[in-house]
Amino acid sequence: MGGYGDVKLLRDDGKRLDGRAIDEMRAVTIEAGVLPAADGSAMVTHGLNVAVAAVYGPMEAHPRKIQRQDRAVIDVRYNMAPFSTGDRIRPGFNRRSREISKVTAEALESVVLVERYPRSKIRVEIEILAAEAGTRCAGITAASVALADAGIPMRDMIVGVASGKIEDTVVLDLDKAEDNYGQADLPVGILPNTGEIAFLQMDGDLSIDEYNLAMEYNFKAAKEIHEVMADALKRRYERGDA
Amino acid sequence: MMVELVPSLLRQEINRLSAQDQRLDGRGQFEGRDVQLEVDCLYNAEGSAKVVWGDTIVFAGVKFEIRTPWPDRPTQGSLMCGAELRPVAHRKYEPGPPSPESIELGRVVDRGIRESGCIDMEKLCIVPGEKVWGVMIDIHVLSDGGNIFDAAGLAAIAALRTSIVPAERFDVGEDHTLKVNGTPIMASFKRAGGRFVYDPSEEEELGGDERIHITLGDEGHLHSLQKGLKGVFTPSEFAEILEVAETKCTELRKMVAEKERN
Amino acid sequence: MSKGQVGAEQRLVTPGMVIGPASGKRAGSGTIAENNEFIATRLGWLNERNDVVSVLPINSAYMPRSGDLIIGYVAEVRNNLWFFDVNGPFQALLPMSLAPWKVEYGSTRQHLGIGDAALARIQEVDETHNMVLTMKGVGLRRLNEGAVVSIPVNLIDTLRGENNATLSRIRDATNCRIIVGDNGRVWIHGDSEDMLASRQVIQTLQQEGHKDTFETAVLALEGERGEN
Repeated sequence: MGGYGDVKLLRDDGKRLDGRAIDEMRAVTIEAGVLPAADGSAMVTHGLNVAVAAVYGPMEAHPRKIQRQDRAVIDVRYNMAPFSTGDRIRPGFNRRSREISKVTAEALESVVLVERYPRSKIRVEIEILAAEAGTRCAGITAASVALADAGIPMRDMIVGVASGKIEDTVVLDLDKAEDNYGQADLPVGILPNTGEIAFLQMDGDLSIDEYNLAMEYNFKAAKEIHEVMADALKRRYERGDA
Repeated sequence: MMVELVPSLLRQEINRLSAQDQRLDGRGQFEGRDVQLEVDCLYNAEGSAKVVWGDTIVFAGVKFEIRTPWPDRPTQGSLMCGAELRPVAHRKYEPGPPSPESIELGRVVDRGIRESGCIDMEKLCIVPGEKVWGVMIDIHVLSDGGNIFDAAGLAAIAALRTSIVPAERFDVGEDHTLKVNGTPIMASFKRAGGRFVYDPSEEEELGGDERIHITLGDEGHLHSLQKGLKGVFTPSEFAEILEVAETKCTELRKMVAEKERN
Repeated sequence: MSKGQVGAEQRLVTPGMVIGPASGKRAGSGTIAENNEFIATRLGWLNERNDVVSVLPINSAYMPRSGDLIIGYVAEVRNNLWFFDVNGPFQALLPMSLAPWKVEYGSTRQHLGIGDAALARIQEVDETHNMVLTMKGVGLRRLNEGAVVSIPVNLIDTLRGENNATLSRIRDATNCRIIVGDNGRVWIHGDSEDMLASRQVIQTLQQEGHKDTFETAVLALEGERGEN
C-alpha cells in the first residue's frame, strides 16, 4: 500500500472515483481457448487488466530433480509484459513475479488432482499484458480457466478476487488509484463450489471486522466471476449446429 | 529452445506435395494465411498492436522514456526493438535468459524499422545534450503457429505508427502523435520440400530447412535481410522471392494504413 | 458423433460443479464423490450409463493404456532399444527383443532411425508412466509411406463412429488406407488426390472438432467423390 494522505478516493455521494459503489467490482470478461499453440488457454479482462494464461502438459518433469514420484508438479510463471505498466518493465528476474508465481503454483496444486500424474509437470504461463491493480487475481482466474480448457482434472476452479480499504472504508476490487493510495489490499483465491480459500495475501492495515467484511465482499464477487468463467468454457464448446 | 523431433514422414510428405506444387494446408507456394491486425489494444502502452496470423498471435507495445543523449549525438533520441519468446508461446520454448532465437527475432525487426529511417532520431530531441526520447518497442509472442517474424514485424510497425508521445506525463509539453515516415514491412520465406514458400506454417517450419526474411520500405527498397538456419540458396531463387515480397509487403502496408485511419 | 452429444443428456459441466446426489450410483471417470454428492473434475459432457456417472472430456492429453495401438516417432536410439514419442507425457521404450525383426546388439539404427514412424502396441504401463512397446503382432510395422494427421484424442471415437462406420465411409469415399492410433495420430495412405481429400476431412476434427462440422464434412466428401 502506498499509504494514504490527502488523496480523496471517495466522492461526497459515497461512490468511488470511477462511479462504482463500495461493493461493486469492475467488469470482467473471459474468453477460453485463445491461444492455438497451447493445450489450454484463457484471456481475462478485469477492469483494464488483461491477463492471458497458457497451459502445457502434463509432460515429463525436467530437470529430474524437480520430479515427484507420487504426483505432478505445477510450474507457474507469472510475468508482466514490458509494456503492461506506466513505466516500462525491464525483462528479466523480478522478485515480485517470483513470489506471485510461487504462491499461485501452490494454490493451483491444491485443486488440480496432481496425484493422477506422477513424475509429470504441468506448465502454467501467466502473461499480464495490461496492469491496473489486481493482476495476480486476474492471473489466477485465467490460469483456472486455461487448466479446465486443457482438460486437466481439478476438484474445483479458483477465482482470483480482491477487496481492500480506502479512506477507512472497506471496498471491493481496488483499482489503480485505490491500490496506490488506499490502506489495505486483500487478494484471495476462492474455490467457488466448496467455499474454501487456496490463495491468500494481504498488506496494509485491517481490523478483524474490516477483514470479515472484505472477505464477505470477496465471496460475493467470486460467485459472480465464477459464472463468467463457466460461461466462457461453455461458449468455447457450444454445439455448432444452428 | 528445446530441440523438436522431426518426423521423417512429415519431411517426406512435404517433399511429395512440393513436387506437385501443393502444401500441407492446401495453400499455394506464395499464398499467405489470414491476417488480422488490431491497434491501440493495450491500456498502458503508448502504442500497441495485436496480430493474429493463422495460428500465430503476437502483441507489440511501445513505451517512451526520457534519457540523456549519447555525448557524440547530443540531439538524437533512440529507438530499440526487443522480442521475448517466452514459454507461453509454445511447448518448445523454455524459461531462462533470452534465447538466441528471441534475440535474432528482436534484432531483425529492429533493423528493418531503424534502417528504413522511418523514425527521425533528431525529432526525438527535447533539450539538446540533456533530454531525448528513448522509444522502446517490445514484441511479445503469445502463440507460435509458424512465421512469427512477419507477425512480429507487422505488430511492431503498426504499434509504432499509432503511438502517442506521453509528453504530459513527463512534463515536457503536450501529448502528440509520434511522427513515423514510412511503413517497413517484412516478408518471410522458408525452404520446404526443396523450394521456397511464403509464410511457413508450424509444420513447414518443423519439416523444412533455411528461411529468409526480407524487409521492404515504402519505395520498395531493402532495409533488412536475414538468412537463418542451415541451408543455402541461389541468386535466382532470391530474385523470385523478392518479387513476391514486394507484392506481400504492399498488401500489408495497406492494411496498416487502413487501421490508422480508423 | 462423440457419445456425449447424442441422447437426451447433453449437459456441459465444469470442474468443481456439483452434478447431483451420489445415492445408488457410482462415480466414473471425470467425477469424484464428496459428502454424498458427485462433483465434476473435468470440463466435459455429463454421461450416465448403467448407474455410473462420468464426464466425457472435451479436451484431454493422451494417457497411454496397455493394449493401445499407437503411432510413435523414434526420439532416441540406443544399442539395444529405442525410445518413442507417443504423444503422451512420457517416452515409451521398445526393447530390441520386441521388434519385429531379428536385431543384433548395436544394429538398432539400421532398422529404425530418429524421426521414423512405427505402428506399435503398448505392452505395459506402470503407475509412474514407465511404458514398454511391442511391435510383435499382426500389422505392427515401420511406416515408410503415407502421412500422419493429428487429432484430439477425445475425438477418436467421433472419427471412428459406431462400429467404425464413419471411418469406413471415409475409406470408401477416398480410397485411402487409414489407421487410427489410440494416441490421436492418424495414418493415411493413398493416391495424391485421395490423400488430400482424406486429410482435409480428418483435419476438420482438428479445427472444429467440438462442433458437428465433421459429419457435414464427411457427407460433403461423399457427395463430391460419389459423383466421380
